[in-house]
Amino acid sequence: MRKLSKLLLTLVFALSVSSTSYAVVVASWGGAYTESQKLGYGDPAAKKLGIPIDWVDYSGGLSEVKAQKAAGKITWDIMDVFAMDTINGCDEGLFVKFDFDKDFPPAPDGTKASKDFFTSMPSKCAVGNILYSWTYAYHDGKIGSKKPKTIKDFFDTKTWPGKRGVYKSAMHNLEMALAASGTKPGKGGKKIYKQLSKEKGLKKAMAKMEALCKDPNGGCVFWSAGAKPPELLMQGEVVMATGWNGRFFNAEVGEGAPLKQVWDAQGLDYQYMVVVKGGPNEADAMKAIAEMTSTEGLAGSAKYIAYAPWRKSSLKVIEAGEPWYKDGKTAMMGQMPTHPNNTKSYILIDAVFWADNGTEIGEKWEAMKSGL
Amino acid sequence: MSSETQKILTTDGIPLEVSLKKVERRNKFKAFLLVSPLLFFLLIVYISPIVGMLFNSVDDRMVTNMLPKTFSSMETWDGKELPSEEVFKSFYQDFKILVDKDEHGKLATQLNYEKNGFKSILKKYGRKLNNFEEGNYKEQTVDIHERWGNVDYWRAIQRRAPAYSYSKYLKGVDMYQNEDGKIVQVEEDRRIYKKLWVRTLKIAFYVTLLCFLMAYPIAHLLATLPMKYSNLLMICVLLPFWTSLLVRTASWMILLQQQGVVNDFLVWIGFVADDNRLVMMYNATGTYIAMTQILLPFMVLPLYSVMKTISPSLVRAGKSLGGTPFITFWKVYFPLTIPGIGAGSLLVFILAIGYYITPELVGGASGTLISNQIAYHMKYTLDWSFASAMGLMLLSGVLAVYWIYNKLVGIDNIKLG
Repeated sequence: MRKLSKLLLTLVFALSVSSTSYAVVVASWGGAYTESQKLGYGDPAAKKLGIPIDWVDYSGGLSEVKAQKAAGKITWDIMDVFAMDTINGCDEGLFVKFDFDKDFPPAPDGTKASKDFFTSMPSKCAVGNILYSWTYAYHDGKIGSKKPKTIKDFFDTKTWPGKRGVYKSAMHNLEMALAASGTKPGKGGKKIYKQLSKEKGLKKAMAKMEALCKDPNGGCVFWSAGAKPPELLMQGEVVMATGWNGRFFNAEVGEGAPLKQVWDAQGLDYQYMVVVKGGPNEADAMKAIAEMTSTEGLAGSAKYIAYAPWRKSSLKVIEAGEPWYKDGKTAMMGQMPTHPNNTKSYILIDAVFWADNGTEIGEKWEAMKSGL
Repeated sequence: MSSETQKILTTDGIPLEVSLKKVERRNKFKAFLLVSPLLFFLLIVYISPIVGMLFNSVDDRMVTNMLPKTFSSMETWDGKELPSEEVFKSFYQDFKILVDKDEHGKLATQLNYEKNGFKSILKKYGRKLNNFEEGNYKEQTVDIHERWGNVDYWRAIQRRAPAYSYSKYLKGVDMYQNEDGKIVQVEEDRRIYKKLWVRTLKIAFYVTLLCFLMAYPIAHLLATLPMKYSNLLMICVLLPFWTSLLVRTASWMILLQQQGVVNDFLVWIGFVADDNRLVMMYNATGTYIAMTQILLPFMVLPLYSVMKTISPSLVRAGKSLGGTPFITFWKVYFPLTIPGIGAGSLLVFILAIGYYITPELVGGASGTLISNQIAYHMKYTLDWSFASAMGLMLLSGVLAVYWIYNKLVGIDNIKLG
């Protein structure tokens, strides 16, 4: 018995060593999102290519991969990153530059990859993965008879007293604050960013958030992990919380939680994948990323979470296959942040604005937070 | 010839003195070899990272080497108006080399720390680089973006000229060096670090005090109870000590949240109203409670080990000489426990001052400490040299505490067991 267990242990060890030595490692955000990636396109791609794909969690930012590079041992092949990080990482030479039409397969009808993308990429290193959205949600059972409908309601602590869950960094919070204080977003939120790049607009947005967080009837709970907002709402720690629409969808439809989302002035944002330059399996990683972001691959992930695929051809696949959600009865198109019903008023998160001004605004934001 | 006869020689003709010294040297070398693994270990895992951090926090050679021509042509510039045509030309030449080497992104990141808005204008500049024509670089540059015509941006470039700079340390206390070379405070809505340093010291101090107040009776009980009970009590102290820090912090989150166990109990006994539950988490209160509990064993154990050695006959002697229980405690028992208090307080304070994960999880906005800011700059802004500078400031703070303690109490008085 003891010999057997020893043998098993050695075997497991040998297996784990050998499997990590050639698997493609993808760093992503964890939780329901990574689950959707793994089931939707990770596993199918691995099966098709015969290359194992491993998933590790991280919480965004380039610090880990920079540290890996500085230490001389990069352990990640592919990363799932914010637009701002693809710009910064690409400029600093951390990621592989793509030739989109050569590196990525065309749509089933033969449309070139670069034409099939939702819009152009922010940098040569990024390939679009999903479109997601910053919305806010409330607990339907606890909110009372009057339901919040607009972005202004998020700041209305008179009608709905209680704490608000907000993202810990300035991103999206300031856009939301301006929209709630009466600035019309304009097409894709252009007017919001015009205001935010001026001293006056920035002050106004900051003051609006500060007022909400200092309000004795309100107050803020800051979250950083995407799984937190639904949890805070379910615990009753907050009455409303901003969050990522896929996470709310997952709690609502996937787990049957009584949460409701408000799409007014949603912050539409893109998510990208990049290949790390000098990663352990660069060649395999290129194959894997092409397979995962193909028409079928991206449509596959939408089976598990309400994030819109980057390829227009994937949307057609989903539409033709409705009800597309894994439970076999929920139609996905209406849940997508890009659906016309949800984009009546929206802000397109401006990555270039944040790459430029993130440091200074971040300082002011942290200073405001430390005074709460 | 007399001196020669005085020297005592060994059998093989070498003077005894020399021979002895040789042996001594060899022994010293052997002793050194014995401790050398430890020395190298300390050098590699302890000294070298600190030195590296120090170097990192002042080293600015990267930018200096990236724009050599620009900086040399800027030497005569007074910083009042837009620099001369020559500066624009050398900047163009420097930047062209960087673009060819694909390194311009690093420069943009660095300059963006100095002044916001550099990233996009450098990007635009890089794109337009190939359309530049010979001559009149100033006009062509300003045409790309109006910000290039703003003298502030050129001053920001000039500030990065020195190869070594202490500006990150100034930033760590909300200061900066202005155009005239004077050291002044940053604008009011950007001041944050001073506030956080004060808060960190304050929280560390109160956590130490709370730990002391709670640990003293526990340690006393541990030292005086019969073995049967004290062993059980000891396990109660040690069990949380052995539990993972994260588990303990997460348990506090379950206990302290508004719909949590503590609030539920308080509502049940009618101490607070259901719609007015106490806010004990995501603020400084949560940080105090969780940190005190987590750091408590570090105070109990040194106190216990010192109290264990105090003979009970001393207290009895004090009483028999007519002292009241309080007097005997204060005049006899308490002074004997001071080495333990010193050790425990120093340990708890130093641990508390650099605490990170607990404030991050339960602290909210008002309960986060300076180490959370260090982590923020490590992870999100990627300004590692600033994070290094703050790390070193924290380290020197700890050393200062140690020094003050040594002056006041004397480090030889510490007793860990």
